[in-house]
Amino acid sequence: MPEPEEQDTLLRASQGDLDAFGILYEKYVERIFNYVYYRTGNVHDAEDLTARVFYRALHHIHTYTDRGLPFSAWLYRIAHNLVANWHRDRSRHQEIPLSDAPIIHYKGEPPEVAMMQNQERDALLRLIRHLPSERQHLLILKFVEHMSNSEIGETMGRSEGAVKSLYHRTLLSLRDDLEDSDLEE
Amino acid sequence: MNTKMKQFADASKEKFASLENQLSGVLKPIKPRKEFVHGVAQRIQTAPRATFVDRIANWHLLAMVIAGLISLAVFLAIVGRALFSLVGKKRTA
Repeated sequence: MPEPEEQDTLLRASQGDLDAFGILYEKYVERIFNYVYYRTGNVHDAEDLTARVFYRALHHIHTYTDRGLPFSAWLYRIAHNLVANWHRDRSRHQEIPLSDAPIIHYKGEPPEVAMMQNQERDALLRLIRHLPSERQHLLILKFVEHMSNSEIGETMGRSEGAVKSLYHRTLLSLRDDLEDSDLEE
Repeated sequence: MNTKMKQFADASKEKFASLENQLSGVLKPIKPRKEFVHGVAQRIQTAPRATFVDRIANWHLLAMVIAGLISLAVFLAIVGRALFSLVGKKRTA
């Protein structure tokens, strides 16, 4: 359910107040960008799709009705649909170009070890992007947004128990994939 | 048997913990570029305002077209009826 102060902003935005919509945009742009970035794997498409999410939201905000879910759930649904179309438009999933992926520097590690770690990281990201979309969404909310299971449940429209169960199955599946790809020693 | 099961559960927990560590190392929040964020914010403040106006303008245009069509239909009906009655009168005369 949207917070009380957000409800007022939402009401104004749905009545065509662009400043109110701007407030919502500032609040959620990073979250949507992160979601799209981890679903697509590159910054360029993440920016393009994030912009489209908010344009679409702006055009349909007058139809938004509070169904007891957070406003972010509505935005994530738009983002999910656009990302699904983006994947459909491509015959195969696009991989993260190394030049595009943020490079993480591991302090105190020799360059070859750091390179190995970056390769492992890229491999894990690839495996994550091959998971079903709702599992990817769950991992993004948990590890990028640091949401609790109940918050994830609210956003995804599932019970806390269902989120726990989905998380467990996701870890099991990822662990198997990792073992298959011999990533884990 | 219970010890074996406990060992299996512990090993599984350890593997999960290691995987969760890997995931938290890989899935980190990323800041979008400031230029991108500001660019979209500006477009939201300017371009869509026209869309709102357009939407209203479109409504007005649609209403005017419908009103025009109804007026035309009524006009044609009146003229047609007048002509019909004139022709009818001529025939009876």
